[in-house]
Amino acid sequence: MSDSVRVKVDNELCVGTGICEATAPDLFEIGDDGISHVLKDEVPSELVAAAREAAENCPTRALTLADAG
Amino acid sequence: MTTVLPDVDSIDLSDMEFWALPQEQRDAAFAALRRDRPFAFFEEPELPFIEKGPGYYAIVRHADVEAVSSQPKLFCSGEGATSVANLPVELLEFYGSMISMDDPRHAKIRRIVSKAFTPKMLEALVDDVETITDKLLADARAVAESGDGTFDLVKHVSSPLPLKVICQMMGIPEDDEQLVLDQTNLILSGGDEEFIDDENKALELILGAGQALAGVMERLAEERRTTPTADLTSALIRTEVDGETLTHQEIASFFILLCAAGNETTRTAISNGVYALHQHPEQKTRWMADPSLTKTAVEEIVRWASPVIWMRRTATQDAEVGGHQFNAGDKLIMFYNSANRDEGVFRNADTFDIARDPNPHYGFGAPGPHFCLGAHLARREISVAFRKMFEQMPDLEVAGEPARLRSSFINGIKRMPVRVTGSA
Repeated sequence: MSDSVRVKVDNELCVGTGICEATAPDLFEIGDDGISHVLKDEVPSELVAAAREAAENCPTRALTLADAG
Repeated sequence: MTTVLPDVDSIDLSDMEFWALPQEQRDAAFAALRRDRPFAFFEEPELPFIEKGPGYYAIVRHADVEAVSSQPKLFCSGEGATSVANLPVELLEFYGSMISMDDPRHAKIRRIVSKAFTPKMLEALVDDVETITDKLLADARAVAESGDGTFDLVKHVSSPLPLKVICQMMGIPEDDEQLVLDQTNLILSGGDEEFIDDENKALELILGAGQALAGVMERLAEERRTTPTADLTSALIRTEVDGETLTHQEIASFFILLCAAGNETTRTAISNGVYALHQHPEQKTRWMADPSLTKTAVEEIVRWASPVIWMRRTATQDAEVGGHQFNAGDKLIMFYNSANRDEGVFRNADTFDIARDPNPHYGFGAPGPHFCLGAHLARREISVAFRKMFEQMPDLEVAGEPARLRSSFINGIKRMPVRVTGSA
């Protein structure tokens, strides 16, 4: 099953609330620029659920998930 | 238990007497508004120093608060977020911080400090929070033992804990902590007569508080310019936004915001949490027996306490929310306390349940760019405070009624006697 996904951060919307980092610390990190950075190009399958949860809970709705294709 | 809901015509959220009512009566009033008048309009309170504005709508349902908060282009913060009245120009220097700004400026300024409040950065701070809490609890016990076995929880624990942590993060010396506490108390007093005994002096007093805190900032900033450190004050004076450093006004209001928001809110959560566990002893027994409940218990305390009661937005254009048509310029007050008791979202919303899950409360604000900067910090402080209290003062009990802050904005407790027996 090829369900590999990517996460994208909208740099305009993100204000670095860090909810994503709290939800999936292996996948997200707030950088010195104060916004979220995705630590892996493709989301490992075991982190897909956490990535979805992070996207759903992002207060500024700055995260989107897309199939890596 | 069935509560008879009051007639919505009898409710006036602008009447300070309303905010002096017992919590249960206020909750019943908001339940009535949610059911019968979800977009109630109120005249603005009369204030001696501000021209009376056009009035405001109370947004009381969870879904409507979310709709307003998550559409910042339609409902802006830039006309004021923490005051129903538009702020007089004298106060803007000290109180026109990013909480009352819109993107893109808000986002750029917030990003200067956002990393410092992330879970990974706060990891390094946990030991400090624990050390501070241990010392406070030891000192509190000494106060109890040298007196009648009681101490004031607010004065000795819930107030100094977040105060010391935020001052440390900002680099404020210990000698200035009392000043920060006194002045932020005044700013967030909501007009409670213990802090402002003559409302005609309110403007002067609040302006003075801003000046005093700005004075602390200026002294500190002077030192940090020559010797920068890793603290937040250094970041504020160093960082450039759009190729320019922040203005004096921006630094002052940012500094004051962090001081005030960093201590008053968590204090309120801890005090209300201890009181809630006193009112629901079975929840306390359950939590003490099962530390794995801490995560959900902290969220439930924040839902239950709703430390910040509301934030304001202003409609930038005609817009609809929940079937109600708003006009450009309308003021909307999002009542988080009411959203957090919305029976359409929370099963048994009036039950304090430390294992509640899911718990989509808006105690840290609803979705949107202004979501609480200090949420991760507050969660840690609250968990450490309760874990340590359970360990070191398992028999702690509330020994008298809390003295409540008479404020519509902060669900504060000014004093609450607690008793400890036995020695550690």
